[in-house]
Amino acid sequence: MILIISTCSDELSELEFVKPLCEILGAKAKHYRMLTQKDLAKAEKIIISGTALKDFAYLDADWSWLKEIDKPVLGICAGMQVIAKAFGFPLEEHTAIGPRPVTIEQENPLAEGDFEAYFLHTKTGVGDFDVLAASEDIPVMIKHPQKDIYGCIFHPEVMNEEILDNFSNL
Amino acid sequence: MNLGVLFSGGKDSTLAMLKASEFHKISCLITLVSENKESYMFQTPNIHITSLQAEALGLPHIIVDTKGEKEKELADLKKALAEAKAQHKIDGIVTGAVRSTYQASRIQRICHELDLWCFNPLWLKDQLELLKDVLKSGIVAMISGVFAEPLDREFLGKQLDKKMAHKLEEAEKTHGINPAGEGGEIETTVLYAPGFKKKILVKKTSVRYADFAGTCHIVEAELR
Repeated sequence: MILIISTCSDELSELEFVKPLCEILGAKAKHYRMLTQKDLAKAEKIIISGTALKDFAYLDADWSWLKEIDKPVLGICAGMQVIAKAFGFPLEEHTAIGPRPVTIEQENPLAEGDFEAYFLHTKTGVGDFDVLAASEDIPVMIKHPQKDIYGCIFHPEVMNEEILDNFSNL
Repeated sequence: MNLGVLFSGGKDSTLAMLKASEFHKISCLITLVSENKESYMFQTPNIHITSLQAEALGLPHIIVDTKGEKEKELADLKKALAEAKAQHKIDGIVTGAVRSTYQASRIQRICHELDLWCFNPLWLKDQLELLKDVLKSGIVAMISGVFAEPLDREFLGKQLDKKMAHKLEEAEKTHGINPAGEGGEIETTVLYAPGFKKKILVKKTSVRYADFAGTCHIVEAELR
């Protein structure tokens, strides 16, 4: 079972950033403020959603459990930012809005071949994670050097559903 | 939050408004009237009916005319949103965008520049699901434009009801159209929706049609 964790501070944004993930993956969602140890224990895999461009409330929450968890995690946009936060990487200001080309930098199980992806962010952070893909020399897909913890600063649910399918098949 | 709705008067922007109103206050409608019939952003038949719709909803209505030249219309959109922010103190806007990354990313950029929230409650919604949601919501809409085979003259001016939704679903199976018109296959004009204090009564229409492309232009209508 995949658990989707919502980072949206506004319920209206969940229709845009969480509901599509639930529908593509047939998964259920829980807001990060309501998350329990039991939810994390029950989940086989975890996806952390994106949210609206003006929403940053999720950065004030405690995401330290991400350092301890030993199951596949995919952070999308805001979800990638919280992974960076949990692992102590600084977030840098970088804005990308709309479709952009992505090139694969390292063979990985989530995406192969170059593709176009939809971006909607103003911050990013990659630290010492492996860079799996980049767009215009900016890392856009990263992975923990040992664990199955992935970050995608773009929104695969918009133009790259296969990345979500590949994650669910890990 | 106070929100402005980017409003074309069709089923999608109306449904987006209804969904947003469950969570926030709708403070105004914002309509771009494009002179360019090929505009990727704002072209829709019966855009003039948005004035009646705003009156029926009892909402302030910001109307900005645009020549519809590719990037110039974005400057006009920015002007309209800035005006809505200044006049009605909106914190953000709502759009009926479903799949168009072209449209969505341009609106997102302008909202970012104006420091406005941007909500797209129909984003990535399945086309059949969207049609069902429109019917369930209580929206009464007529088909005001058809632009793909097998949608012919018979569809124009008809109400988007269960029977029509079934026909569109069939057209998806036979011709691969998007049944809710995401690819521009159909355009709709809303005549009634929850929140309307009066219904729009269409008194006179003018139909233009040839080879699976046509519009049903509302020549005369009133609130009743």
